This record gives sequence, structure tokens and C-alpha cells, in this order.
Amino acid sequence: MELQKTVLSEDHIKLEAKMAAFAGFSMPIQYTSVKDEVSSVREKVGIFDVSHMGEFLVTGPDAAKFVDFLITNDFYEVENNKAVYSPLCREDGTVIDDLIAYKISNEEVLICVNASNIKKDWSWISSQTQKFDVSLTDKSQDYSLLAIQGPDSPKLLIELGVLKKEEIEQSSFPYYSIKKVSIEGSQMIIARTGYTGEDGFEVFSPSPEITKQLWSQAIKNGGQPCGLAARDVLRLEVCYPLYGHELADHITPLDASLKWTVKIKKPSFIGKDFLSSYEPKYKLVKLALEKGIPREGYNILNSKEEIIGKVTSGTLSVMLNKGISLGLVEKDKFPKDKRFFIQIRKNIFEASYQTKPFFKGGHK
Amino acid sequence: MSHLFPSHLKFTEDHEWTELKSDIATVGITDFAQSALGDIVYIELPEAGTEVSKGDSFGVVESIKSVSDLYSPLSGTIVEVNMALEDSAEKINEAPYDSWIIKIKVSSTDELDSLLTSEGYKSHCEKNS
Repeated sequence: MELQKTVLSEDHIKLEAKMAAFAGFSMPIQYTSVKDEVSSVREKVGIFDVSHMGEFLVTGPDAAKFVDFLITNDFYEVENNKAVYSPLCREDGTVIDDLIAYKISNEEVLICVNASNIKKDWSWISSQTQKFDVSLTDKSQDYSLLAIQGPDSPKLLIELGVLKKEEIEQSSFPYYSIKKVSIEGSQMIIARTGYTGEDGFEVFSPSPEITKQLWSQAIKNGGQPCGLAARDVLRLEVCYPLYGHELADHITPLDASLKWTVKIKKPSFIGKDFLSSYEPKYKLVKLALEKGIPREGYNILNSKEEIIGKVTSGTLSVMLNKGISLGLVEKDKFPKDKRFFIQIRKNIFEASYQTKPFFKGGHK
Repeated sequence: MSHLFPSHLKFTEDHEWTELKSDIATVGITDFAQSALGDIVYIELPEAGTEVSKGDSFGVVESIKSVSDLYSPLSGTIVEVNMALEDSAEKINEAPYDSWIIKIKVSSTDELDSLLTSEGYKSHCEKNS
């Protein structure tokens, strides 16, 4: 099967990015080095082409009500121009995907989903509309998505003429909110969201020309192009889950320690009955290593060297220069002494169990 | 992107280089390999005295995003290990052909003929990139 290309594909090749197949797309994995790219996002500003992500537009009188019914987190009650992170579950509580829903108004909602789940999500969501007056459009092929992330991201958006200084202040454009902006007649949706833990923006662009223009101007103004490898390190440093790793088809959000995203008190949503009485089987743990790099699939052991779980994501943290990981541990095997070990090939290393994210990003 | 393929070295298809002087083979990973791996951040080294057969995994090299086995290009006994790399694995990125990993006292120099020449290895890389 031929890989899909984003509108910036040629730009990535010109920049000599390492390209690889991801979720059916040819995507940039890294441009310069993962270390440079991660540091740029933490200290200055990095730009990511994440146009592989899927976008669904929900419109109609019941749009916000419908999305509230679909997802486990609160949505109907949130104000216009707000974004909400949520799992998308089946009746049995298992996770189909995790997503961000952007409430443009009660009649218009944009949902951003993982590229690898576009088909699965679309068939699920479009099968749930019977009781609602909504129409659904798959915009995944129409929208490009640029993520502009890092402490200098507001400055960069001002320099690019996307937003004025007064429009970008936290008071008028807070974290997890959105703005509609017209650039040369094209309606952009700009969200103060991201997957790095830093202050940053995601720009949904329906115009290939403007996407290309923003990309090249951002680079000219000092934005560091960043690939998916840096993106994964950045999200893991701040302990954001990734579908296919911490979340999957066979577990519920409660198994991945995402209780805060499941609003049991909401009047009705898919999975409510099941999740209301569900006792989680797993607990998501944050484990760091001084020596060795934890990787997905490695065994997590207790002090008696019994296997109690598995690493779901692991990497070397660029900011901390040590191995960091998230893992799912069987809840009834969670060690009372809170001592955890990770097996790396023939060796067993004691890990330090953390209750806070490994790194604190700068977003407000 | 262009890579270095020094003509005085021999290569494996798994991207190790080796240089044989009398019966001691010096082994490292190639410029192509380090570039494909990206930032190398960790190396797991064997102990001196370990016996290896051609094709055996003798260690592991890790970049931020990947884990790769290191394979012995020749059979013999590992007589020396570049322990300095444990604290400076990034040297392999900077100078792959100066950053030797192990030295093997080979059991037979005949195996050398089964390895790739720099030309052969270069075309192997072109096919696989």
C-alpha cells in the first residue's frame, strides 16, 4: 500500500529529515538530532508537522450533546472555545482511542484523533448518531496540522502575523482554548494545546498553501523542525499517555490511571454503566532508571523478582539524561514497599518509583 | 546523505566494521549504522575473555529511540573491550571508525574472506536505504 504524504512532504525531504512509515503516512522522524529537537522545544520553539492526525467535524443542533455522550470526560458543560482531552470508550469501558474535542460552539465541534485509529474511530462514531440531530464529516484529508511548541511559541506566532500580541496573552487565549483566525481568506483553527508539556499551539489549516507558508516562515524565524521521535520523548518526559502503549483496545481508562477523564456523574455517556462499578485491574506507574534504558515490553518486577507488569513506553529522557518509562502493573500485585525493578536483557535494575511527571513542562 | 566506507576495512551486512592485524580483529559499527541509529546514548559491552562465534550478538547499542544488537564479524576470543564508551557512547556518532568497541583474537583468519569489502558494503547499504 502506498504511504500517504502530508502537504509538507517535499519540505521534509529538502530538510533531509529521516522519514518513516507511521500509521500509513510517510512522516518525518527526525531532522537534526532528537536531543537538539527536544531541547529546542523545552528552551525555545519547535515546529511539528502532525498532519497525519485525524479530524472529524460534528455539526448540527446536538453537536456538543452528541460529543458529550461519546466521550467519558465532561464536554456539554464546558464553555465555547474550549478544548477537552478524553478517552473514547465502548459500552464495556474499553478504550477505542483518546482524543481532543474542540468546542467551537454547541453546534460545531472539531474532534482530533490519532492517525492510527482514524478508520476505527470513524466507524464507531458514525454508528452512534441515531438519537442525535448531527452531521459528521471526516476532515482528515482536508486539514493539515502544525504544532508550534515551546516557550517562544507565542512570539513566533506574532512574528508570523497569525495572532497579535494582545490576542495571544494568557488572559485572552488560555491553555486548552481555541481561536478561529482567518489567514488570506482561509479559516484556521488555532488551539493552545499540544503534546509536549510546554506552552504551545496547534494550527488546523484547510489551506495547503498557507500550511507551507507557515512552515517555511516558522523555520526562517528560528523554529526548529522536530520529528515524531522528539515528540515521543517530549510526551513521555511529561507522562502523557499514547494510544497503543498506555491505552489500548483491551483496557479501560481506569486501568491507565485516567480516572480524572471519566466523569461518572455525567447523566449519560457510552460506558457509564460499566465504568461506574468497575474495579481497575492495572495501575499506571512512572519508573526512572539511573542506568539502562527501559523499553516497551520489558518486564517490571517486585523485590522478589516476580513479574508484576510491563513497560508500555520507555526512552532516554533528553532533559534528565536518564531512562524513563511508563508501565502497567497488575493492581493486586502492586508492591506495598513501592520497590520496582526493570529487567533489561539479562540484568535487573532497581527503578525509582515516581508519583509526579519526570519533567515539568512550562505550560500555564 | 553520503557516508564513509574506508577501503582498508571489512564489513558485515549487519553494519559492523573490522580491521584485522595479524590475529587481532578490531571491531566497531559503521558510519552508515551510526547515522541510521541517530543519537547513540548507551552501550552494553561484553566482558574480556568471552568467546564469540561469527554472527553472535556480543553487545547492544541504544539510541534514544532504538535498541540494536552488535554482531561479531569473526570467531574468536574477546581480548579487549573499549570500556570508555560506557560513559561516552556518543563518540560512536562523532567518529565511528575511531570508536572501536571490542578486539577479538580470531581463531582463524580464513573467515575474513566471507566479509564484505568497502565496495560490497556500500552497495549493500544503497540497497537497504
